[in-house]
Amino acid sequence: MKAITASALLFVILLGALFIYVAEDIPAFGDPYSPANRWVNLSIGIDARNHVMESLNEGVVPDALVSEIKNRGLPLPEGYKVERGEEEGWKGWDILIPKGEMFYPNLEKYYFIMNEGNRLWVYRYSVPVRWEERCEEEIGVPNMVTAGLADYRGYDTLGETTVIFTAGVSVILLLRRRGKL
Amino acid sequence: MRVRGKSKEHGQEHKYKHKRDVIVTTIARLMIPFIQMYALYVMVGTEGAGGGFQGGVVFAASFVLFVTAFGITKGRGRFPESWNAALSSLGLYFYAGIGLLCIILSLFGAQYLNYGALPLWEIIGRPETRGLMITFVVEVGIAITVMAVFTSIFFDLAWKGEDNKEDNKEEGGE
Repeated sequence: MKAITASALLFVILLGALFIYVAEDIPAFGDPYSPANRWVNLSIGIDARNHVMESLNEGVVPDALVSEIKNRGLPLPEGYKVERGEEEGWKGWDILIPKGEMFYPNLEKYYFIMNEGNRLWVYRYSVPVRWEERCEEEIGVPNMVTAGLADYRGYDTLGETTVIFTAGVSVILLLRRRGKL
Repeated sequence: MRVRGKSKEHGQEHKYKHKRDVIVTTIARLMIPFIQMYALYVMVGTEGAGGGFQGGVVFAASFVLFVTAFGITKGRGRFPESWNAALSSLGLYFYAGIGLLCIILSLFGAQYLNYGALPLWEIIGRPETRGLMITFVVEVGIAITVMAVFTSIFFDLAWKGEDNKEDNKEEGGE
């Protein structure tokens, strides 16, 4: 009995260590670099001229781009900041939501502008849009719901399964009549 | 026609207690295999509707139908408690274990539950590896756990303990 207790304790400690290792890997909430949070092309573009690039470098979004974005019905965060950024090896500019905004209190990325084929393309950081557009090519499953359930939201589903397992164990403990079966 | 149960042997009192209706048993016999087949189809349904939770619940419903038709003692005989306990944790072990294998087999390079990092990707590519793991390991694991847990809850609620057996013994002695 002693040996069983000791080995069970060891097993629980190992599981705890594993859990801590795994929890270290979970991306922080709102982390712009977490896998499913990367950018998608909005197919808004203007010609990349020199004065446009310079104004981006100075931290101002050029008027042509602002009007293109507004025409598509998309918002531009008030008091935005522009910084040079890099995404998955591509270089461009980040348009950031400033610190202290009402709904996004931290500094967060909103648009990503990239020079591609002598044209500036606007990308948006968005989970749902990326999910709809690139689900099949990233996961190889035609059913979008299953792909989202088991891959993009894998931790969530693992938790749900654990909840069901816990419910079963609780019912066994509370309601099972002791006896031979 | 043969009447199921022990009513003939044990007199008039328990006539309605143990008698099994032949229509119910025949329909159950016909339907249970199809329900379980449909559950398997729903379970691995990455091409169509469904998923692990739904498939598991449909599978558990087939056991409920079995118990309704043939009685709880026979139902427990077909799906023993030891199997039930083992299966209810086995599905969760599948799910968590494949996530752990991703860490181990990629030599601590990938994250937990990142199926694209399994060594299989060198043969069939990362998206297909993800799809394969989701379809045949994760969803099936979820389905096994859900099926076992719901069946276990159903048996726990419906089981009368040893009363059943004692009743039968007393009847046999009379």
